[in-house]
Formats: sequence, C-alpha cells, structure tokens
Amino acid sequence: MKHIYLDYNATSPVRPEVLEVMLPFYKEQFGNPSSVHWAGRQVSGALEKAREQVATLINASPAEIVFVSCGSEGDNMAIKGTLSALKNRGNHIITTSVEHPAVLETCAAMEKDGYDVTYLPVDSHGELDLADLEKAITAKTALISVMWANNETGTLFPIEEIGRIAKKYNIRFHTDAVQAVGKIPVDVQKANVDLLVISGHKIGAPKGVGAIYIRRGTRMTQFMHGGHQERNRRAGTQNVAGIAGLGKACELAGAELDSYSRRVRTLRDRLEDGIFSQVPEIKLNGTPFRDRRLPNTLNVSFAYIEGESLLLNLDMFGVAASSGSACTSGSLEPSHVMGAMCVEVTLAHSSTRFSLGPETTAEEIDRVLDVLPATVQRLRDMSPLYNCGRTAEGCETCETVRRL
Amino acid sequence: MPWDYSDKVLELFKAAVQGDAGTHMGELENPDGFGEYGSIACGDTLRFTFRVRRHPTDPARDVITVARYLTFGCTSAIAASEALCSLLEAQGKTPVEALKVTNQELVDFLGGLPEQKIHCSVMGAEALQRAVVDWARKRNYPIDGLLPDLAAENAQEGRIVCSCFSVTEPYLRRKIRELNLRTIAEITNALKAGGACGTCHHAPGGLQDLLNEIWGQPSGAPDEGAGAGVQPLSGAGRSSEHLERQVEAVLKNVISPLLRKEGGDIELIDIKGYKVYCRLTGQSGRCRSAPENVKLLVEQPLKEQVDVRLQVIAV
Repeated sequence: MKHIYLDYNATSPVRPEVLEVMLPFYKEQFGNPSSVHWAGRQVSGALEKAREQVATLINASPAEIVFVSCGSEGDNMAIKGTLSALKNRGNHIITTSVEHPAVLETCAAMEKDGYDVTYLPVDSHGELDLADLEKAITAKTALISVMWANNETGTLFPIEEIGRIAKKYNIRFHTDAVQAVGKIPVDVQKANVDLLVISGHKIGAPKGVGAIYIRRGTRMTQFMHGGHQERNRRAGTQNVAGIAGLGKACELAGAELDSYSRRVRTLRDRLEDGIFSQVPEIKLNGTPFRDRRLPNTLNVSFAYIEGESLLLNLDMFGVAASSGSACTSGSLEPSHVMGAMCVEVTLAHSSTRFSLGPETTAEEIDRVLDVLPATVQRLRDMSPLYNCGRTAEGCETCETVRRL
Repeated sequence: MPWDYSDKVLELFKAAVQGDAGTHMGELENPDGFGEYGSIACGDTLRFTFRVRRHPTDPARDVITVARYLTFGCTSAIAASEALCSLLEAQGKTPVEALKVTNQELVDFLGGLPEQKIHCSVMGAEALQRAVVDWARKRNYPIDGLLPDLAAENAQEGRIVCSCFSVTEPYLRRKIRELNLRTIAEITNALKAGGACGTCHHAPGGLQDLLNEIWGQPSGAPDEGAGAGVQPLSGAGRSSEHLERQVEAVLKNVISPLLRKEGGDIELIDIKGYKVYCRLTGQSGRCRSAPENVKLLVEQPLKEQVDVRLQVIAV
C-alpha cells in the first residue's frame, strides 16, 4: 500500500540535499566548533554559514540568530528570558488563546510565578481583533507573544500590524513562526518583531534543531547556562550537523518559496474543494479566506463522527493526517484551539487536519478524495448521532473545553 | 498513534469499520432491549439493542441471540461495542445473567485497554444495563432490586459533581463502589469525571470528598496531590480544611520521602491561612533549614501542587 503523508505541520522528512550537507559532520568533520585547533576550525565555518542562511530567509543579520534545540526551547527562551530581563518594566504578558503549548504552558508557568497573562480571544475563524490587543496593553505589559500562523488551522495572524502596535507602545514582540517559516514570506524587519522562533523539522531539516532570532539590542536573561557558545546567549556545544542542515533547509526554502507555496496551495485547494463538493455536513475550521491561511493547511470537521476513528480508518488506506479530537491526546478534551474558536464540541472531536508538503502530489490528493467520502459515510452509519437526526450540541457546551 | 492499543482492539475496530461478516454494527428494529449511554459532549455515545429467543412461559429464561450497536467514539469505544455484542451472542446468556457482565470482562476480551480508555468499557456495561431494564419492562419481568435506580440517574436527578462531563453524585457514588475506584485518577479513567477543568477534584463535595466519605480518610493513598504531571489546582472555592488536607498529602507523599532519602524528615506544625509552619528534622534539620533550601524543597512543590499563595516557614 502506498503511503500518503499529509501531516507536514507535525513534522517533515529530512530533504536529501539537507542530509547530504549534514553527513560530513558525523564523520570526518567531527570537531567541537569552540576548539581552536584544525578539527574545531573545520566546523566553526559551517555554523557561521548556516547562521547566514537562516538570517537571509527572514531578512535578519547573522549575529541576530541563535541556534537552539527545538521550537519549544526557542519559545521558552524568548518568554522567560524577556520577562526576567524586563523585571523592572512590568509583569504582564499578552498572548492568544490559540498558541502552541510551547507558549501557552510557558505562560501558565509564569503565571504560577506571579506574572499576569492576558489570553486574547479569537473569533470563530480563529482570527484576532486588534482592538482587543490594544485594550489589553497596560503600563506593566512587558511582552506580546503571538504566533505567526496557527498550527492546527493554518490561520495567519496580522503580524505586521501587531508589530506596529508593539512599536507604538514600545513593547517587546515575540512570535512563534514555526509553522510560517518556509511556507510564506517572513520578514522580521517588515513585521517589526524582536524575537522569532524557527523549528528545523518542519521545513525539511532534522528534529532536534531550531533557531531564535533576537533583534540586535534586545536584552535577554540567559536561559541555558554553561559555556560561551552562541555569544553567551545559549550554552551547550552546538548540534553542528543539525545546524548545517537547518541552514541548508532555509536556503532551499528561500529559493523555492514562490513556486512551492503556489504549487502546494493549488493542491490544498483541490483537496478542500473536493471534500466540500463530495461530503455533506462538514465545517471548515479556521478562516475561510484562503489568503489568510497557510497555503498547505486544511482543517475540516465531519459532523457525527469522532476524529480518532477517522484517522485510524484513513491510516488503513495509508493516509496520515491528524485530529483535534480528545481521543488522540492524553486528555479528555478536544483541542484548545477548537475550544477558543467556539467550535461545537462534537465538531471539535471530529476536526481533522490535512497539511501538505513539498512532496505531496496531485495523485495523492485524488486518492484521498477517493477514499475519504466512503470512510466518513461508513463511520456515520455507525454513529447513533447520525442515525437519529440529532444535530450537534449547542455552543453552551463550550464550557467543557478548557478555558485558559 | 499515541495510544497503545492491543492487537485485538485494532482487529475488532478494522473488522467493524469494514463491515466484515460477523461484526455487529447496526440497530435492530423493534428490539427486545434498547439502551443508550454516553453523551455527545463527552465525545462518545453508544446505542445498544438486543433480541432474545423468548421462552413461552418464563421471561427469566429468555436468551439473548442477537446484539447490535451504533457508536460515536474513538477506536476503543467502537472495539468495546464490538466486544460487548460478541460476548453476549457467544455466551447465550439470559438478560438477567447479562447484567453480570462487567466492564472488566470487556477489557479482558479486548486484550486490555489503555488506562485512560477504561471509560469506553464502562460505557458498554452501562448501555447493556439500560437495555436489560428496557427488556424487563417490555416482558413484565420484575427486575427491581437487581439494579440501581437507573431511572433516577437517567433523569439526572442528584447534584452534578463534574459539570464538564455532567456526572452526578448518585452515579459517582454507585460507580466508585462498583468499580472499586480509589483515586481521582481512577475515577477519571473510568468515568471521565474530573477529566477536564479539574475544579471538582477538591471542591467541597467534590471527587476527593466522595472518595473520603466512601472509603474513609486517605491513609497515605497517593491522591492527586502526589501524582506527577497533574494540573495544579486553582485555589478558588476550596475550604481551608481542604487546603490543609492537600498540604498534608503533599508533605507526606512527596516532600517527606525525598527528605527521608537523605536521612531527614519534615514535621507539620501548623497551617494558618496560607502560612505553613513546619520543622525539618534529622539530617535535613541540620543542613537544610537554610531559607533558600526550605523554599526549594518544601515551598516550591507546595506552590506547584497545592496553591501558589502558600508560604512555608521553618520553625
């Protein structure tokens, strides 16, 4: 059976060009980049090359890039490093209710330490009202943290406008851009962000490497203590191979950005249109305005059925997707993103995310469109909800979704 | 898949969704027994129907011959529904005998279920009970006394303890005893109650209170306060007595064992408001009563696991 991978927002395979760049650092070029001898000198150049490649993709300067181990580390560093450095400025953070757990849980931890956090609501499309943001700002606000694109729905946030607001009030601005980088243009100058986080494995580099952009002059308290690596901003011997891979992946992403985003968008639209024309009683999650969504992401709820059983069913046909259903996680509640968008609870349980990537083909999309409608129908036939004409529960049941 | 399903669960699920011969998806028309359990808000619902071979004179000797289900739910909910129907059809039980089918039998049939999915098997046993009640009503069989008062529970009489999953006190009381549930985590795994916002865990009249009332005061049983990775509680709505109990539990189950490893211990002297007075003894008394150590070893875990407002004072 042919495998069809439509879960690129979860992770992506390492690109062959990237792997090729990485391999020497596991063999002959094994040196520690901090060493002065030939072995160290051999690899320190590779780090600086990668730094430049990453910086170029987001229009930053290489000195503003710090390599980390993953997106979550970058987000932790941005939030904790800022709040501790800006203690005198204030104890208030503004973020959104649909952030990745790397941001939400970090904020929750800061709350326990006595910080105040405002979680901005989103509307039913998962979009922010910038008036809410301005209203939330106080004299004590030290940080605004808003993701560039939502991982579950693909909804894009108006980062440039948020950057303008942050600048107007002179508040530091952090964005988790893990899902955006490599899929859409990301320019830290235009967007006026101070801190931006990138993860390698979402863009064809390996797992275990990421980067954080720290605007020049941004005061941060050190988060990881130890050696003098990364100009004292992040201790620990660098993951040289991974970093070289991240650099290469960023270079490729930059070169292919236009053609890739056009091509993947065509395929995504084909999938979206196909599903909507063939399967009744479904709901799009995220913004219906396709220009305000990542070009590779589609999130749909299929009424009357439960997401995990749909995923396992698709898996039987070799199709890999993901779900916001409670049953796919360790918790009993559906995804907090669906909850924040006030998606009805049953629909949240059946929310299914298809995220496409550079290797997705039209044949694969057509194959999904072949098997999906019948699979959905079969599960609906099994469902007591479908068989008694009941409609999905009303919005008052939103209470069951965890409120942050 | 993040869940570690048994081969049997996956096999039953696949057979069911493919509609293989011998599977039981569907709904019988004019069934002899009809029972429904679950709620869509909770993410799973089971509609269960069965038919019997009627005994000409004695309903007690009716035998279940056909069983069918419709299930909205995850992989294990569908597999548990299959298991229920297969078990009943294979065993040729009378409805009254079927009442003795426990969720554990379903779990065993399935080759085990992940802990957090036990509620899928409970749902099967509950729907079966309701279907047997329906059969008894149709056959004029006196079933009172064999069963708890399901009608009252159905009408959702009684105080709702867990509002996230609409779980009532009478149901909780019955199930805690029936399934021998001893901790909040066990309640959540089996009944879902307490699985979302967590406010009912230690609220007055909440899950811990029910457990204490049914099984007596905790005798060092690891309750939620000692569990790892459990969401911290918000302090709101908790009486001072609850707070004290929580502090005691964390001291006893978390902090004290740590100190004992290093040859010391801790003694709780008093709790006034959010101030916890305690004495470090033994090895820990000598070298660890420095304020920063008390903060790190005692106050921090208490803040994390009980209430951020707590302050520890070593005396």
